[in-house]
Amino acid sequence: MANELTAEGVAILATAAGVHLDAATAARVARTVSPTVGRFSAPDIVVPFEVEPATFVVVQHRDARR
Amino acid sequence: MTDPTMLSLSELVTALGDRTISSVEVTQALLKRIEVWQAALNAFVAVDTEEALLAARQADTTSGARRGALHGVPLAHKDMYYRAGKPASCGSKIRAGWIAPATSTAVTRLEAAGSFRLGALHMAEFAYGPTGHNTHLGHAHNPWDRSRITGGSSSGSGAAVAARLIPAALGSDTGGSIRLPAHFCGVSGLKPTSGRVSRANAMPLSYTLDTVGPLARTAQDCGLIMSLIAGSDPLDPTTCGAPPWNPGTAERSPRGLTIGVPTGFYVDELDRDVAAALDEALETFRGLGARLVKVDLPDQTAVSAAALIVIAVEATSIHAPWLRTRAEDYGPQVRARLENGLAYSGVQYLEALRWRGPALEAHLAALGDVDVVVAPVARSAAPTLAETDVGAEGGAAIQTLTSFTRPINYLGLPALVVPAGRTPQGLPIGLQLIGRPFGDEVLIALGRAFQVATDYHQGAPPTP
Repeated sequence: MANELTAEGVAILATAAGVHLDAATAARVARTVSPTVGRFSAPDIVVPFEVEPATFVVVQHRDARR
Repeated sequence: MTDPTMLSLSELVTALGDRTISSVEVTQALLKRIEVWQAALNAFVAVDTEEALLAARQADTTSGARRGALHGVPLAHKDMYYRAGKPASCGSKIRAGWIAPATSTAVTRLEAAGSFRLGALHMAEFAYGPTGHNTHLGHAHNPWDRSRITGGSSSGSGAAVAARLIPAALGSDTGGSIRLPAHFCGVSGLKPTSGRVSRANAMPLSYTLDTVGPLARTAQDCGLIMSLIAGSDPLDPTTCGAPPWNPGTAERSPRGLTIGVPTGFYVDELDRDVAAALDEALETFRGLGARLVKVDLPDQTAVSAAALIVIAVEATSIHAPWLRTRAEDYGPQVRARLENGLAYSGVQYLEALRWRGPALEAHLAALGDVDVVVAPVARSAAPTLAETDVGAEGGAAIQTLTSFTRPINYLGLPALVVPAGRTPQGLPIGLQLIGRPFGDEVLIALGRAFQVATDYHQGAPPTP
């Protein structure tokens, strides 16, 4: 599966964040996180081009005024 | 005289106002009960006996001048609400002995209304766990069965309110941390709409998903606390523009409300007792004059995945300095969760944040004219501490506990838990009433009506 993380990939991301993970921990993280990454990359999740994080507040307040 | 520990917060407020009971009598009764229960529950991390009695005496001697709606009421909150000059360990070894430099806005508002601090309540380490396990300070125990979890992360709040050690408490909810203890311990609890209550000077876990709310015996009590803590705060920009609390709506009749009954995700694979409690509650709502309709919500597994990404990255970002230098000082479950947050890319995190608006829009479109969705909090009543003591390798098993709560944080919606049933073993079952954005008051109104028609919120656990 294209979105399956590898222990090596996780270790590189962790090192970039300044945290050392041993090989077993990196493998455990890859196993744990892969299903979430896979689900969020599925084609039914589409983020429109113009949307930013604060769009959430706009939607929230629009419904409150209904 | 009625045992003051058995009064709900609203009843206590009335009794103190009438002067049929004094604040000192209430405080002494609560302290005595804490002495009996604390060893069994581990609900408190601090009890401020002398300071509380002094505050109670002062409340009793003010000649008729009440400070506010909570005049003379002792309260205790999750040990992540800072109070200037007091320690706030946040359930951790890392912050043991740390003294807060300022007081949280929510506590400031409750104390401005006349309440005072009785102590501080236990919690999962850094509020990052749904069970109530705590390897540093000992696990919290469920008052209905000490071998079972309280739920977390507001473990002490759930246990203390259920055991009548305190009439109400603040919890926090980032993925279910108010609702799970309310469900497992048999109390009421409100996770407010995102932006409704200031998070200023409360310990952060996830800037996007954190919410501050009450646990209490009744929906009415939750409404009373919300009426005092909700509202704009310049120290928390997410509260700007939120509507003020509307006490009239919180007392409205449920007649004419449209209740959505979810299909699929929230009702598949429920334990029989939870399914039966849901069916019974729906009939109660129908009897109260609400209209019931089926509602087909968007895929909640996608919403849940987005929530997991946001909370994981934000929590890891907040803890990164300690993760680099003191990783061994975290408990194994919390350290494992923080390490998981290292695996997401910046692009994935921002996509998860950007999708929040469209996801809420899709949810609201699916609701149509539905005012409230009624759903389980979890698939079962409280599991045992042993069953959920999974260490670093059991992340997926623990994640299932928050399956029904986590999506609601991502969507920023309010959700009120009310006790709605019992298993044959006597364990509480709660249901969550999920509202529309800023529809917190409607939930309180519906919860109040439900608790007039039912008595699942009334029972107290047997004294150990």
